[in-house]
Amino acid sequence: MTAPPNALSEAPGGSAASLGDLVSQPYRYGFVTDIETEKIAKGLDEDVVRLISAKKKEPAFLLDFRLRAFRHWQKLEEPDWATLKYPKIDYQNIIYYAAPKQQQDKKASLDEVDPKLLETFEKLGIPLSEQKRLSNVAVDAVFDSVSIATTYKEKLAEDGVIFCSFTEAVEEHPELIERYLGTVVPSNDNYFAALNSAVFSDGSFVLIPKGVACPMDLSTYFRINSGDTGQFERTLIVAEEGASVSYLEGCTAPMFDTNQLHAAVVELVALDDASIKYSTVQNWYAGDENGKGGIYNFVTKRGQCRGERSHISWTQVETGSAITWKYPSCVLQGADSVGEFYSVALTNHRQQADTGSKMIHVGPRTRSTIVSKGISAGHSSNSYRGLVQMGPKAVGARNFSQCDSMLIGDQAAANTYPYIRSQQPDAAIEHEASTCRISEDQLFYLQSRGIGFEEAVSMMVSGFCRDVFNQLPMEFAAEADKLLALKLEGSVG
Amino acid sequence: MILPDAELLLQIVDLHARVDDQPILKGVNLEIRAGEIHAVMGRNGSGKSTLSKVLAGHPSYRVTGGSVLFRGEDLLALPPEQRARIGVFLGFQYPVEIPGVSNLEFLRVATNARRLERGEEELDTFSFEDLVHERLQVVQMDPAFLARSVNEGFSGGEKKRNEILQMALLEPLLAILDETDSGLDIDALRIVAGGVNHLATAANATLLITHYQRLLDVITPDFVHVMAAGRILRTGGKELALELEQRGYDWVDQELADQELANQGAPALGVV
Amino acid sequence: MVLASPVSNLHSAWASRLLEGLPAVTGDLAELQRRGRAALAATPLPQQHQEDWRFTDLSPLTALTPRWRKACPELPSDLPAPAPGTLRLWLDGRGDPLAGVVLPAGLTPLSPAELDGALGHSLAAVGCEHHWPVQFNHATAGRCLALRVSGPEPISLELVSAASQPESLLPLRLLLLLEEQAELELSQVLLGSGSSLTSLVLEAHLGRGARLRHAVIALGEAPACLLGHLAVEQESESRYQLSTASRGWALARLEPRISQLSGAAHTQLTGLQLAEERQVAVTHSWVRFEGPDGSLEQLHKAIADGQGRSVFNGAVRVPRAAQRTNASQLSRNLLLSPQARIDTKPELEIVADDVRCAHGATVSRLQLDQLFYLQSRGIDVELAANLLKRGFCAEALQQLPTAAANWRPLERLLRQGSPLGELP
Ligand SMILES: Nc1ncnc2c1ncn2[C@@H]1O[C@H](COP(=O)(O)OP(=O)(O)OP(=O)(O)O)[C@@H](O)[C@H]1O
Ligand SMILES: [Mg+2]
Repeated sequence: MTAPPNALSEAPGGSAASLGDLVSQPYRYGFVTDIETEKIAKGLDEDVVRLISAKKKEPAFLLDFRLRAFRHWQKLEEPDWATLKYPKIDYQNIIYYAAPKQQQDKKASLDEVDPKLLETFEKLGIPLSEQKRLSNVAVDAVFDSVSIATTYKEKLAEDGVIFCSFTEAVEEHPELIERYLGTVVPSNDNYFAALNSAVFSDGSFVLIPKGVACPMDLSTYFRINSGDTGQFERTLIVAEEGASVSYLEGCTAPMFDTNQLHAAVVELVALDDASIKYSTVQNWYAGDENGKGGIYNFVTKRGQCRGERSHISWTQVETGSAITWKYPSCVLQGADSVGEFYSVALTNHRQQADTGSKMIHVGPRTRSTIVSKGISAGHSSNSYRGLVQMGPKAVGARNFSQCDSMLIGDQAAANTYPYIRSQQPDAAIEHEASTCRISEDQLFYLQSRGIGFEEAVSMMVSGFCRDVFNQLPMEFAAEADKLLALKLEGSVG
Repeated sequence: MILPDAELLLQIVDLHARVDDQPILKGVNLEIRAGEIHAVMGRNGSGKSTLSKVLAGHPSYRVTGGSVLFRGEDLLALPPEQRARIGVFLGFQYPVEIPGVSNLEFLRVATNARRLERGEEELDTFSFEDLVHERLQVVQMDPAFLARSVNEGFSGGEKKRNEILQMALLEPLLAILDETDSGLDIDALRIVAGGVNHLATAANATLLITHYQRLLDVITPDFVHVMAAGRILRTGGKELALELEQRGYDWVDQELADQELANQGAPALGVV
Repeated sequence: MVLASPVSNLHSAWASRLLEGLPAVTGDLAELQRRGRAALAATPLPQQHQEDWRFTDLSPLTALTPRWRKACPELPSDLPAPAPGTLRLWLDGRGDPLAGVVLPAGLTPLSPAELDGALGHSLAAVGCEHHWPVQFNHATAGRCLALRVSGPEPISLELVSAASQPESLLPLRLLLLLEEQAELELSQVLLGSGSSLTSLVLEAHLGRGARLRHAVIALGEAPACLLGHLAVEQESESRYQLSTASRGWALARLEPRISQLSGAAHTQLTGLQLAEERQVAVTHSWVRFEGPDGSLEQLHKAIADGQGRSVFNGAVRVPRAAQRTNASQLSRNLLLSPQARIDTKPELEIVADDVRCAHGATVSRLQLDQLFYLQSRGIDVELAANLLKRGFCAEALQQLPTAAANWRPLERLLRQGSPLGELP
């Protein structure tokens, strides 16, 4: 038998130099924390919605919000337009609320937090205790349905910055929640947003007051621990006039051979001259190489550039989840506002990702940029789905989109579905897309300079993603690079 | 050539202009008479192309002050095409490509628009082809370029030759040539410069924007202007260009700083 | 369970009104007619919640009340003379276009048995036999012009049709079998005016090494509508070159669908559509590579002016078998009026790693710098804009067969008023 013409395609076993033989690295965050958890019974009905609200001692407006969402959700059908294949989700077989026993009320001090929880986060690389915590990032740590700790709250408060769990925000700043909740992603926006609006349990709330540049990066770390629980968190970030913030989101989950549902909603509001930079490194458990287990990630993320000259930037590195369904979007309402979307989505084995962005240009001279890099390996499927829309009033608006896919192996799928609509002659849209693979010539060139095969591949992949990584905060960029290299191991070949 | 009683073609007074709300031209003054050849030099970004585009009427540039008269008429009040028709020609630093529009047809339509303005008859396709072939000689350009789309796929030098061909056809009174020499090989430079000399008469004038003495060796300027920070900082004869070639632009900074100081002493008009 | 909306009630009334007036099924296509009518009775009109019809506003179609009446009594007298060496056939949707015609060597009509074997083959291969416009054509077409093309000599064929009678219907059904190495230039001219509806379904099978240069010049005048499906199968080493140009219809929807049966073929698609006034111009193209080494070069251009709407959906499918596919697609759109609208959606599905696929899309008005360049040479804005529009269109009409070029489509697309008017 002669060697296959393409060393990257499924190689016969044993060839040391084939990409396929890079070992499949086990998922590093797949452990389960053994902790006593309070769970409500499986299933979803109006009583469950009321129960969640009661557990959180919520004001009436919030219960109303949940009930309206729930009633609407019941009328909706699960969307099927994405190119995703998965067995029907049984929404009655999910637990909608789970919290560590000790954690019924948020502890005033970290000392009171169950050490097992602190240990969990430490293992995840997110130490929370005073001595060890990250020096330049404030963290809200969410474990299953609840936030267990938020660091640097007091320090941030000195600048008037509010950073706390959603539950605390409801208690302490109900007027802000009432003013902003659901104004960017209405409770009836789509199937999963409606579900989230009905049953969301916790999440983070951020408000950066007028004129304040947030003194440190803010971060929420989501950990799903229990095997039969859905996670439905909600993030709301408001940047008032002239304020700015950089926000990071990370996520992991243990390895179960069942699927867990994660349906989050993120709402961003930027007023005049405000700027929000939202970065995600998503590393939920992706299932095994046969597609068993993994998180179903159905997320609605939307930012509204409400004010003039406001700026919202989404950066995401999506490497985990069995299924990703996610379209971080910007509604560019204020004149001269700017929206950005930078994305790397990597799928391997049986993962499926359907992700992209929507840029809705409403106001004049609004500008947007989309840079999407999809890498598909194994038997995975990776789709870019996006919308760029120039409304009738978007005089002088501009969009540029660049969507590139890289295919590794001949079993993976890369799809591109950009929707482009313009109703404004004085607006310009430019979209480019290309598909490529790691070229053997380039690989050979690197190898002939003494660079090892694996390293050469990961250099090429990270080169492919460079434009996106450049947008990440520095610590994140390095992590993302490593993550990608890890994820790719065992894929190429 | 400097002629004592020559007609005043162009008179720029205290011209201010902005692009994207950013002031670029900050008080340009310049007079050009028939028969004269002017050279404008200056650092990258000093505003030379901006001046040329403002004169040609590019819509992205907003005039915020000052005046420009062409043969006594308010040039700034005219749409770009009318400026071309009355004899103002801009040879672009970066001529755009227009796919699908035939070069020949474009040249014919443009030439006829200028002829009509001058009270001459429009040329039919055949007489125009004769004229084009005659003018092609001026720039020694291959007639094959006529059949292609305007500038599409032309090399840098070919685009510049096409600009001079247009100038030869339109016979402007004032030709503004923005770095027509850059990107030309040695032969092409000679040909293009020869073309410009060939077209220069006592009735018209040329404003050359250039960075290099080598063009001015072939086309001798009557005046050399140095632009800096949106103004004409200094004007001299052809020796000034030689001096610049030797000394570079460092002295410009000193001079600008001096002016800054002087200005602080005497606040600008209108500032109370 | 979705309740029948007023819209869908209206639509089923539209279809049943049409079906009631149709004559009994007869002739070679009887079986197809029977199936088409049954399908039409059972399927509602396409609706905008269906992905494929999302951007197609069907109201110009439902505003028509097509009936079974002859769309054009006779050959119009003011057609341009046929190009030398070209066989012109007149299609009126009823009579035999071949009656009294001497076919050139290499062109033979299919026998009823051959027709029976071939009908629907290409439609199935490109997966559109159940599309509503195809079923509509099947329900109404009583005749199929079916030709076999063979032999080494290139053949030039021109098919002209005109629908002009009020409330009329012109169903056109064509089938072409190009044998190995056969070469055909096919120029189709579709004219439509008044409240007429033209429905076209063409199937073509290109044998190994065969070449088909195909032009569809569709010139209409609202309220006339046009629905056209072009289903093409390509064997390896064949070349299919399609140029479409449409203007003036209240609704024109063209769907070229191509399957490279075992790859290694070349497909070139060039489209140009204008949507002005309240017109809707739609192109949905679909190309699938079933084998390696195929190539696609696609350029689609559209201009939307007035309150016109232009829609382009360009699907490219590259399955695992299609290694070394080279596909490029470009959608270029000019939006010239604030009431007009452009929707464009390239879609690429790839499951093969060694491929080169690229697509691009742009939407803008005329380029300011280009306009200025022309103006700076003394050309007034209006003329400059027209030159640029002409340049924009000309690029898409470069490779027409002579017979199609004879109709001077560029002039017809750019002239003031209807594209059907007299040219100077
Ligand atoms: N459209 C524009 N948008 C923003 N800035 C511009 C624009 N056009 C010009 N400028 C800026 O104005 C300044 C002057 O530019 P200009 O092109 O006139 O310089 P120049 O003297 O011709 O330089 P060069 O010698 O490099 O050709 C530069 O700083 C340039 O960046
Ligand atoms: Mg310049």
